[in-house]
Amino acid sequence: MSENKDLKSRIAAAKAKHDDDPTNDPGYNPDKEAEGKAMGTAMRAGVELVSAVAVGAFIGYWIDQWLGTSPFGMIILFFLGFAAGFLNIYKAQTGNYHKTGIGQLTNTEKNGQKDAEKPEK
Amino acid sequence: MAGPLQQFQINPIIPIEFGGYDISFTNSALWMTLAVVVTTVLMVFSMRQKALVPGRWQNVGEILYEFISNMVQDTIGREGRKYFPFVFSIFMIVLMGNLLGMIPGSFTYTSHIIVTGVLAMVVFLGATFIGFARHGLHFFSLFVPKGLPIFILPLIFCIEVLSYLSRPVSLSVRLFANMMAGHTMLKIFAGFCVSLPIIASIMPMLVIVALVGFEILVAFIQAYVFAILTCVYLKDGIELH
Repeated sequence: MSENKDLKSRIAAAKAKHDDDPTNDPGYNPDKEAEGKAMGTAMRAGVELVSAVAVGAFIGYWIDQWLGTSPFGMIILFFLGFAAGFLNIYKAQTGNYHKTGIGQLTNTEKNGQKDAEKPEK
Repeated sequence: MAGPLQQFQINPIIPIEFGGYDISFTNSALWMTLAVVVTTVLMVFSMRQKALVPGRWQNVGEILYEFISNMVQDTIGREGRKYFPFVFSIFMIVLMGNLLGMIPGSFTYTSHIIVTGVLAMVVFLGATFIGFARHGLHFFSLFVPKGLPIFILPLIFCIEVLSYLSRPVSLSVRLFANMMAGHTMLKIFAGFCVSLPIIASIMPMLVIVALVGFEILVAFIQAYVFAILTCVYLKDGIELH
């Protein structure tokens, strides 16, 4: 009989958990998902830096062609692009700056706040 | 023997010319069509039974649906529900491109930057358009963090705008570079297999086996990254901070 009661309470707990948070699924493995997310984040980092530098240099080159300010536009925008690249990496890794994306979710999980209230969006 | 880059060559299957433009039906277009057909068939057939206890195929469909549904819900929030079809389409076309490309002898259309570039531009322009439509000129406050001193505002604004403009570039280059590098590497190791004596060719063979597994992992991860970044960019357009 106690087994039956145990099962009932477990079902009730599972139902309550399942209500709105999909990560509380019985088959859900936080380690595995965090691993996948970390891999995704790592894959992002390199390209983020290079693309911002490339975009900056390209816009600088274009401004130089247009206004005839060669080579200052390209130099300045190259370094601005570099700064933007680091900003990109920072955003991608922490996710706290603009409160977007994967970083924030992994951070919440790392801090063990998975069962706490989800951050207001 | 074919070079390692020959697999990326675009060959017209049905030559069509329209108004001076070459719009032939190419092998790239063929595999894109196949990706759409496979996705449609998969979703339609997996949902046909509508069983309470899902069978194998229905399970596949439900996993795909729930995966993207949860991603949209977690990243964008309730507002994001109406963008679910868009994110799901993007995810499936990228995933199918990557996975169908793993079939020997097939063509990987996601290894062409023009394809990934157009996908990224659709996401980027769409998100920007949604941002302007919802917030008007107030959208520019995306580029100005809260509590910023006024005398460094122009500098930060420029950096933020550059960071924003680099989004479609990084989005497209990441996918294209991953797919192209992986497939080129497979071909190069396959070349070693052919040119080495039969006993020694076991070694590159083992590497190829490992690489194929890794490539399938990369195919999933890149589709996931593309989809979640689509969500993140849409979120920026939908709500400012």
